[in-house]
Amino acid sequence: MQPRPNNGLRPVFCTIVPPHVLDKLSQADDPLLADPARRTLEADAARRHHRRVTALAWTPQAARTSAAVPSKPHRTLYDCRHGTDLPGHRVRDEGDEPTRDASVNRAYAGLGATFDLLLTEYGRSSIDGKGLPLIGSVHYDERYNNAFFDGEQMVFGDGDGEIFLDFTLAIDVIAHELAHGLTQYTANLAYEGQSGALNESVSDVFGSLVKQYSLGQSADQGDWLIGEGLLAPRVSGVALRSMKAPGTAYDDDVLGKDPQPASMDDYVETEDDNGGVHINSGIPNRAFHLLATALGGNAWERAGRIWFDVLTGGELAQDASFTDFAKLTVAAARHRFGEGDEAEAVLKAWSEVGVPTR
Amino acid sequence: MRIQVSRTGGFAGIARRGEVDTAGRPDAAEWETLAEAALASGRDGPTAGVPDGFRYRITVGDRAVDCADPRLTEAQRTLISRVLKEGA
Repeated sequence: MQPRPNNGLRPVFCTIVPPHVLDKLSQADDPLLADPARRTLEADAARRHHRRVTALAWTPQAARTSAAVPSKPHRTLYDCRHGTDLPGHRVRDEGDEPTRDASVNRAYAGLGATFDLLLTEYGRSSIDGKGLPLIGSVHYDERYNNAFFDGEQMVFGDGDGEIFLDFTLAIDVIAHELAHGLTQYTANLAYEGQSGALNESVSDVFGSLVKQYSLGQSADQGDWLIGEGLLAPRVSGVALRSMKAPGTAYDDDVLGKDPQPASMDDYVETEDDNGGVHINSGIPNRAFHLLATALGGNAWERAGRIWFDVLTGGELAQDASFTDFAKLTVAAARHRFGEGDEAEAVLKAWSEVGVPTR
Repeated sequence: MRIQVSRTGGFAGIARRGEVDTAGRPDAAEWETLAEAALASGRDGPTAGVPDGFRYRITVGDRAVDCADPRLTEAQRTLISRVLKEGA
């Protein structure tokens, strides 16, 4: 492990630190101390050990506060039965056995995986930080080629089988929708123009992080595709979006061509789609991919942590531009990791996509 | 009567457009009633919408309204799905 300047910003952990010391540190109030300790312990031990550590870490807080922050999700899944009333008919509660409906079970699993990532890696209990129940409805409408977050819950269509398949098939789509909730409860980026494209990008980022997390993939193993597996067989394409190469996900006679730009040079000015929020998200998406792959290892550990810090740090304005966001990621990298690889990689990533950072 | 529906937004951000001209159609009256009902409950200008939700513009002749999933009226939903030949 490389020596780092000791500005007091980042404790240095060598492998000679004994487990009992790591245990004590993992129970610290300060996440700067607790998080690395918890991660180190996890890396060494089995899942069983992780649960024990998490339980120990949460216990002091539970004892202190009158309302303990939940460390488990509270999910409820509903079936719209092809109607449009929401939420529909309740079909699976937290802790219930899987039902015979694969869409329900996939949505349930996807919500759980997102909750796991947020809690285990970032110490956040659900999207509001206080264990907010997670609600999803499947089989919305008939042959409905979409999924969305309505401000209170996630909603998934079945697809028409010609262009799209069931939207619960892709775990990154499930996490993407839930991440809209995370954004709503934190920076609440306005869903239009550049702030809207950032909102969309944050959802794609967390979608990819949850997918890689659930598959145990490092940044270089991830496919960095959004909605892979959603396109119907006849569609000429690999996914709905590509974070590594925006604009290359599909080229089809019915769907058209993937319109995403890969840099500011090709930023799309449009009235459609709230100013192209699903289009221009390609630019910050690519910046995140560049950062995550430059740093290596698991994308959620450093790249994801920087993005999470900016989203939840309280300085990101609702009407933030790409440049506003980029500047904050540089500051967050320095604050979290000091002046080193991370901050440098952040600067380089934004430079490559043409977003100024000063 | 020319009825146009354009849809943008959605998870995939893919725009779709459809049009029906009721002139000479046997079901023209039904279309026109539906179109009027769809216009009646809408309003001009941008609607709130939800993240990844579809947004629609319904144009009837020289009048237009904007609306968005999931808060469509029954008339809007029916008209949109008939014109686009897709679920709305």
